[in-house]
Formats: sequence, structure tokens, C-alpha cells
Amino acid sequence: MKIVVCVKQVPSSNEVKLDPKTNTIIREADKSVINPYDKFAIEEALKIKDNLKGEVIALSMGIPATEKILRDAMSRGCDRSVLLSDKKFAGADTLATAYTLSLGIKKIKNVSLIICGKMAIDGDTAQIGPELAETLKIPHITDVSEIIKISENEITCRKINDNGYSIIKMVLPAVITVVKDINLPRLPTIPGVLKSIHASFEIINAHNATANINRIGSTGSPTQVIDTFIPERKNVAIEIEGDIDKKIDFIGDIIKEIMYNGRIDN
Amino acid sequence: MQNRLINKMNENFAEYLRDESRVCGNADSISFPKDEESIINIVKDAYNKNILLTIQGARTGLAAGAVPNGGHIINLSKMDKIISMKNVDEEYYLTVQPGLILSNLIEEVENKKICIENFSKESKKAYVKFLADKNKYFFAPDPTEKTATLGGMVACNASGAKSYLYGSTRNHVTGLKIVFIDGDKLSIQRGVYKARGRRLSFFTSENKKIELKLPKYEMPTTKNASGYFIEDNMDLIDLFIGSDGTLGIITEIEIKLKKRPNIIWGVNCFFEKEDIVIEFVQEVKKQMNCIAAIEFFDKNALEILRKQRENSSGFSKLPSVRKEMEASIYLEIHADDEEKAIEALKNIGEIMKELGNSDENTWVGRTDEDKNKLLLFRHAVPESVNMLIDSRRKDNSKITKLGTDMAVKSKDFRYIFNLYKKDLMKYNLEYAIWGHIGDNHLHVNILPRDINDFEIGKILYKNWADKVSEIGGAVSAEHGIGKIKTEFLKIMYGEEHINEMVKLKKYFDSKELLSIGNMFKIEKGSKY
Repeated sequence: MKIVVCVKQVPSSNEVKLDPKTNTIIREADKSVINPYDKFAIEEALKIKDNLKGEVIALSMGIPATEKILRDAMSRGCDRSVLLSDKKFAGADTLATAYTLSLGIKKIKNVSLIICGKMAIDGDTAQIGPELAETLKIPHITDVSEIIKISENEITCRKINDNGYSIIKMVLPAVITVVKDINLPRLPTIPGVLKSIHASFEIINAHNATANINRIGSTGSPTQVIDTFIPERKNVAIEIEGDIDKKIDFIGDIIKEIMYNGRIDN
Repeated sequence: MQNRLINKMNENFAEYLRDESRVCGNADSISFPKDEESIINIVKDAYNKNILLTIQGARTGLAAGAVPNGGHIINLSKMDKIISMKNVDEEYYLTVQPGLILSNLIEEVENKKICIENFSKESKKAYVKFLADKNKYFFAPDPTEKTATLGGMVACNASGAKSYLYGSTRNHVTGLKIVFIDGDKLSIQRGVYKARGRRLSFFTSENKKIELKLPKYEMPTTKNASGYFIEDNMDLIDLFIGSDGTLGIITEIEIKLKKRPNIIWGVNCFFEKEDIVIEFVQEVKKQMNCIAAIEFFDKNALEILRKQRENSSGFSKLPSVRKEMEASIYLEIHADDEEKAIEALKNIGEIMKELGNSDENTWVGRTDEDKNKLLLFRHAVPESVNMLIDSRRKDNSKITKLGTDMAVKSKDFRYIFNLYKKDLMKYNLEYAIWGHIGDNHLHVNILPRDINDFEIGKILYKNWADKVSEIGGAVSAEHGIGKIKTEFLKIMYGEEHINEMVKLKKYFDSKELLSIGNMFKIEKGSKY
């Protein structure tokens, strides 16, 4: 079975830098990691491969430095990786990104299952999985917490809902997005790391992907980011001085204030 | 005495009567001074009234060094600032107060976000240079308990996993400020006061000349935190480092920062046969020079972890270890660049394979998230054991964990390891062994099921102290002697040398009031 895992490079900390002109995140390779949700996607793909045999391919769209996280994915067990990289892809919103990723999947050919993390921790949209499925015109299930059964032709999943869960069966090829409790990702091994250094790594540009120029990058993006900012943190910690009775009174006052007047600043 | 600083002991201060050793002491009063002047006022008053004093930091010690023996407790946790920085010959030094928490120091130094509010102009200048410096820096000593204070670390000469490469706290302390029990002070910089043979003299701040006749014993050549640091031509500063709070009160510590290697990776290697582990470690030590830590976990430690993982949500994120694994070695690679780190990984894999073990049985931590998982694994072992013992203590409060802290020479390691195992099996005791195998320093933890196990465990512990002393090892390699290992120190050095240590203490504390019961037993003093 051929499984593609979509991975995204995200900042490794909350202290992200924003491009003042485009209001998009400046991505620095040495301060980037695999989107945490995508690690669960990788692990789920590896588990399927352990049982059914086949190939797991890590796929990403990004700057050339995204190679670092793709090699990381290979150190964890992915067999090879494909990077869609071209200046023409820059500034893409989720729709243009999903279209671009779909081109990569078409190039890889004969893919049975595409697994994405539930969402990326930088954009928090959770749109790529469903948009990718729609672009490829295949079914999808989001928020999968368990793959109950999988064969060459169909998959049965447990999907988390607001009020519980649903068990859904669909035919393959298909897309699933996974939540973080689905598994416990394995750590890389020494042979895994050594293999990843020289593993096959393919870069596809817009031309080779036969991309429709009107559907990629900022041109293909109906979403316009007008402003992006880091929310100002207003809450501060305060130290309560005095003996235990004074401290209790002080905390009591805070609780009363919240009960009667709602949230307070400190 | 500034009475406003002195609090009479009551239930609000109950926690200050104990530390992580779980020994509980008693005291009449406690203070939380914020500056040196307050300390001087307190000690002068105590000195005049013959009041016993116990010095405390964060009470994370495992040898009861901070547990009071009556009298007054000086808790230094409010003296927790970084107060200055200097840059000499391209090296950075920080002066910190003794109550500074290690994790705060690590965070401020590694993120280059030091609070410079009280810095002098000179210090600010050094800090500007520090910020502009492309290199990253760190403070190398890394005891497992990151909530320890710097003062506590100096008092017991703490070390940790990375001490294999970087040495203990001693190696990173370049200056100390000390207040003596009579209120006199001493400021020491490393290299200024050196002994001539075993004679050492120096002047205090009040220009009082102190001439010391140092004890005659020879320290073990192993990792060591047992008794006073004594050697020919030694530096005065080394006498105070590891002195368990018995000679004076440390009010300032100058530490030297180290350049942080560009690459730090962790590798957990798992072995199906425990007996090849010693050989593996020997080969790693022989072949590799970029390893900062070599840590061991035995089969029982892995089993405790497995059970804890199933039963406790806190540990459920730990990766699972396959049942057939009998031991694990954690190695930490410190390298200048990725190429060298990859070479090191290859080397580790090759050694494993040469010994008939698959290099697939490894976990490599390169990203922060993966490294944190490896860290959680290492910390979860002692945590799990403590939880297990705490639950057993509910049925029998008399039993505690019996954890050794002994180190031996490399040539004796296999002998002592086999002795531990033979004795533990002979008496059918429950146990787990882990620790700093790179330094030939393991923590054998006996987990008594009942009082009978506990009593047998205590006898074994004493027998091992005998054997370790006999072959020139140290009865405490990193936790210090404190109050719970004084008998072992006697075994290690003998009565005569203990008396020399008591005499040495009296040079500084003639009334025998300071940290009484640490290192050796003295029953003196009166109540506050």
C-alpha cells in the first residue's frame, strides 16, 4: 500500500517573526520542526505499513530548507520524501496549498491513503485535509482517533465529534486527518537517522508539477491576510505579601471580583 | 537581632523541617533573609546566644543536610538573584545569590534573558557583549533536580549526568563570599589562596589571620562528595565547596559559563543482555570523546517504568520499552557540528553491533520534543520509585527507600556491580539500579516490602560502604554526606581523620553551632 503523509514545517517556539510586508510567518529552517500533529500522521502511516507492507512517502510544500523536516520524517521511518518548492508557490492560502499538494500526490501516483495531521499549530485552520480530498475528488474523514480496520480497498475509522464519536467506513483512495491521541509516535533509531541522511529526496517545481499558474501561490489564493499580530499578553502574576490570613483575604477578594464583575485584568 | 526576620516555628513552616531525604528534624525558629547584612545580624545574635543554625536552600538534597537539628533555620531561598556579570579573556562569569534556583539560571543563561535590573555599569557592559556573542553558553552542572539552589549545589558539590564530561559543581565555581558564624566575612577568588602542602592561611574581611592545619587523609581518586575536599597545595575555595554548610554561610557564588556545543543529541540504547552493558560502556569511553553523559538503567528500573506508564497518566506519554530489554544506556552527544554528531551516532551503532546487539534498539533525540521524551524517561525512573515507596510507607511508615551513592575506580566497577547483584539476589530484595555508569557511580535502590527487608537493606548498605572504602572508592559521590551518611564517612576515613575534620570545623565554628550533624555527629548548642 502506498501512503502519503502531508507534513508541514512550523516554528519550534511561540516566538514567531512576521514579515511586516506580507504579514506572513518568516520561516527559519534551524528554528523549525515538523508540525506536532503531523508526527501522529507519520506514526499512523508507519503502523499501517508494519501490518500491510508498502511505502510511506512524506510530502510537503515549502522553501528548500523544508528538506530538514522531511529528512527528520525519514529518520522516523518514512521511506522517501517529496518537496514541492518554487517561488511561484509562495504566499499560498489553504486552497492553493491543497491544490499544490494534490499535484504532488498525482506525481507520486497510485496513492491509496493520504494522512494529514488534524491541523498545523501555526495556522490552526484544519482546512488542508478536507480541501485536498475535494481537490482530488476522493472521500475523507477528519479528526480520526482510531483506524479500526484497513485493507487495500477500504478503511474504517473512529471519528471524534463534539458529542462523542462516529464509526465511518469509506473506500480508498481517501484522505484522513488524525488527532493527537491516536498513537504515541516512535522515536528515530540510529539506522533510521543514518539512512535519512542519504535517502531519496525529490524536489518538484511548479513547471514539473504542471501547475495551473492561476491556482498556486498568492495568485491562486482567495484569502487575503490584512493583518497578523501576536496577541498582547495582559495577565501578569502577582505575589501576595503578608501572613496567611491576609493572603486568604486577598484571594477571597479576587474570587468575589470575578464572581460579581466577571474577568479582571490581574 | 532583627526580630522582624525571625519567625517562631509553627505549622505554616512545617515543610522546612524536612528535605527530599524525607528525614524530619526540629527547630525553634526560621528566617528568610534577603541580603548579607541580615544574615550577619542573625548569625551574630545566634553566636552570642549559642543558638544552633541550619542553612537551607530549596531542600532538594537527599542526605538531610538541610534538616534542622534544633535551634534556628536560615533559609536562603529569598536570596535568588543574579547580581553581576563579568567578561575576562573572552570568558563569561556570573555572580549569583545562593538561593537562585538552577532551572531559573539555566533558562536565563541559555535564552540570554538575564534580569539585569541590579547590574552595575560594568556588568551591563559585559552583558551587552554576551548578547552580541554568537556563541550560546550554559552552566554545565546538571543534577536531576533542577529546582535545587546554587547554594545547595555548592554545599554538596552536586553533579549530574553531564558531570562525566564537565565535572562536578566544583569545576565551575570561581569565587565565593562567605559569612562566618561570628559575623566575619571572606571573599575568595579561585587561585588567590593556595595551601603549602597541608598548611593554609588567609585573612578574613576583618583582617583576622586564619591558619589551618589540614587533615592528613588522601581523598579517593573517584568521583567524590564525601567529607571535606583536602589535598596538598589545594585552593582555599575547594575547602568550602562540598563542606555541607558546616564552615560558613555562602552568600555569593561566582560561576564560569561554558560555551554550549552547537549540537546536543541524546541516544537511549537498549540491550537484551545486561552483562554486555559494562563492555559497551568501556568501549564508548575508550573510543569516543564527544560523550557528555553515560547513564545506566537496569531491568528492574525498566520494569517499574513499564508499570508506571500503564498506571499513571503523567507517564503515559513515555515511549514503550520492549519487554525483552534488560538494560538501557543513555548517551549524550555534544558536538561542534552535525557531521561530527552523525559520526558519533555511527560509532555508537557500530559498538552495539560488535557486541551482538542491534542498533535498531535505540531512541535518538535530536529535536527538543524528542530530547524531552528522553529526559522524561530518565526522570520517570527515580520518580516512579519514590511513588512506589511513598505508597508502601502508608502501610509502614518506618520503611524508606535505601539508595546508595557510591563510586569506585574503573578497574573495580565490574567487581562492585556483581557484588551488589549477588547480595540483592541472595536476600531476595526488591531493587532497581540506575545512575552514572560513566563515572562508575550507580545508585542501588533497595525497595523494602516490609521492615525485615528494610533492616537487611541497611546491613547490605553498610557492607557495601565497607567494601567500597576498602578498594579506595567514595561512599558518597554526589549527594554529600549530610546527616544520613555520617557512619559511612567514618567507615571511609576512620575515626582519626573524622577527628581531624571536626578540628578543622572548629577553626571556623569554635562554638560548634553551624549545621551540626552534617558530615559528623556533634551534640552541642542550646535552644533559641
